[in-house]
Amino acid sequence: MTADTRSLSRPLAGRSPAPRTGGRSARLQEALAGYSFAAPNLVLIGLFLLYPVVSAVLISLRDARGFGDGDFIGLGNYARLLSDAAFWQSTANTVLFTAITVPLSMALGLGLAVLMNSVLPARGLFRTIIVLPMVVSGVATALVGVLIFDEGTGILNKLLRAIGGPALSWQSGGAEAFASVVIITLWVRVGFNMVIYLAGLQGVSPELYESARLDGANAWQQFRNVTLPLVGPSTFFLLVMNVIYSFQVFDIIFVMTGGGPGYSTSVLVTYAYQNGFVTREQGYAAALGIVLLIITLVFTALYWRASRARDLTD
Amino acid sequence: MDLTRRQLLGTAGVFSASALLAGCAGFSRPDSGGGEGGADLTFTTWASESEEVVFRSLVDRFQEANGVTVNLNVVPYEQIFRNIDAQLQSGTAPDVFRVDYGNLGVYSSQEQLLDLSDLVDNGNDFIPAFWQAVQFDGTPFGVPHQTDVSAIVYNVAAFQAAGITSVPDSLESAWTWDEFSGVLAQLRGSLPPEQYPFVYNWQLGGAPRWLSFLFAAGGRFVEDDLVTPAIDSDAGRRALDYTKGFFEQSWVPANSAVKSSTYADAVFLAETAVMASAGSFVVPGLDAAGFEWATTYLPRDQRGATDLGGNALVATAGTANPDLAAEFLRFMVEQEAMAEFCAATNELPTLTSLVDTELDYAVRPDVMPVFVQQATTLEESDVAQLTIPGMASVTTALQDQLDLAFTSGQSTEQTLANLSDAIGQATGA
Repeated sequence: MTADTRSLSRPLAGRSPAPRTGGRSARLQEALAGYSFAAPNLVLIGLFLLYPVVSAVLISLRDARGFGDGDFIGLGNYARLLSDAAFWQSTANTVLFTAITVPLSMALGLGLAVLMNSVLPARGLFRTIIVLPMVVSGVATALVGVLIFDEGTGILNKLLRAIGGPALSWQSGGAEAFASVVIITLWVRVGFNMVIYLAGLQGVSPELYESARLDGANAWQQFRNVTLPLVGPSTFFLLVMNVIYSFQVFDIIFVMTGGGPGYSTSVLVTYAYQNGFVTREQGYAAALGIVLLIITLVFTALYWRASRARDLTD
Repeated sequence: MDLTRRQLLGTAGVFSASALLAGCAGFSRPDSGGGEGGADLTFTTWASESEEVVFRSLVDRFQEANGVTVNLNVVPYEQIFRNIDAQLQSGTAPDVFRVDYGNLGVYSSQEQLLDLSDLVDNGNDFIPAFWQAVQFDGTPFGVPHQTDVSAIVYNVAAFQAAGITSVPDSLESAWTWDEFSGVLAQLRGSLPPEQYPFVYNWQLGGAPRWLSFLFAAGGRFVEDDLVTPAIDSDAGRRALDYTKGFFEQSWVPANSAVKSSTYADAVFLAETAVMASAGSFVVPGLDAAGFEWATTYLPRDQRGATDLGGNALVATAGTANPDLAAEFLRFMVEQEAMAEFCAATNELPTLTSLVDTELDYAVRPDVMPVFVQQATTLEESDVAQLTIPGMASVTTALQDQLDLAFTSGQSTEQTLANLSDAIGQATGA
């Protein structure tokens, strides 16, 4: 961007030594040109990002139910959150879901990327198979999940019965239901993690491995001391993306368990949806959304700080 | 005019912004003046295959008779009320839409629907309970289009295999709860572990159907004032303990509780359960079953009871053509149109004049009399409760609390206390 602007301004600067006022006018024109290029994105961001966020904050301060604006109640909806057991359980579930899915999807993604980066027969086919769930809609993936985990007619319980094992309560047991949504999430997410890690791995020079081997490093030592540090930027990027995805999980849980049994798989977004669109308590649902936004913002701020420190040390 | 390259690029930037924003025109409101695309009226509904065919045929007939254009907009059931809510809030709602009796109260109590007091004058032609269901504070806001109460469907061969030879053939002889428990236990004894005696249709928004047990036990969920919670009662305890027993005794699949994502009739069709409670509207779907099935009545306790299924047609308060919208509503509930609709879709009429008429049902007409008679167990006091403005919140509370009671071991006392609190909040008690 900077290079483009410089190259555009060069002919003008070279045409004549502009007087002081002319320079200011040129700078103004340049600024205007810059803003006009940025304008489409600024308008879209303002319209579809900032306006809804500000509206959500305003709605969260009102007792908005159904239609109309509702009465202004200040922080009433936020106070209600504090004493709402379902909110706390949904928050705990969201944190637990994030704590399980983020490291697992990254570890599996890295493992597969290392495997796919090696000399493996038909690796193009395997890569495609692993990435495939990424291109299928979340709802369709979740429906596949229902086919697999249905307690009565699902493939998994049929297999368990066929080998003489006990059928598991994938839908009526809280822990099993939670496990089922985690498994399907991993299935979807591992492909994305693998692709990013694969790109990172392909930037690692083979000479480094050769040198490590000459120093007597075994396979694990090569992975631990060469691969892992050098895919650090990918790890950092994936950590942020995965945490955001996990905090915003909705479609898979909504379709597979509806938040049940009880509140066992209810997460912040499904709970906000239920309040906003089923019971039509938009004010309360907006407050839930703002809490989610704040959690994500805090995480992003931490990421920024760490990222800046990282850039400086690099 | 001497145009510099920067000016040219700047202008191009502004134009590209305009083009981008023009691309957003897809989000703008449809043509005003009645309906979309220049239509005089827009009618939004969800519809099964058989319902869509007959809706189209009736809409065509109305268009021809009145020389107008009606835009029939069929959308999936799962999204219709989210869409309607958003459209009402943005002033782009259809002129007419289909709504269940429970949701109707949400819209009518918040002044979103057209007052039909002076536009529909045949209120007395409807079965009183259904005419009452479309009113709020004595004002009609819709026309009762059809109903589809639940009854029992059962797998004939499974019953024979379990030695159950006698099945009630009249409302008066319907099984009592104790007799029904005996039948379930008998079936449990004859079925393999992966098959179940029964499945109840309270999943996927069907939580209010549990209230049929409460009503049958002689209970109510709100007092006569329709505000004070009344569910924490002996009848409430009896109904909840009885239905919790279904799960405790493995009489129903463990994954068929209120938050399950599978419909009861699908469980019955898959032969995972050999008996199900089902609305008459699923009869066309059950016709594809690869086994013989028949119908009987829901079990009774202090009285018989069933759910308030079915839907009304309403016009929105902001319609540009209130007279034409009312004319369309009147047309859809004329005796001939209602008979045609119900016969084609295996649903039940709401006009008194059609109650004793034998309709020419398209699928399994032999099983329909059971549904017709079961509908008579619905009482006006049930309807009054099921159509309160806060019903959507009551439904959510039932969904959450019943699921906790059925799957997470929440006690009956705690469940009823929580439900009572939630109902109080919903009604503003």
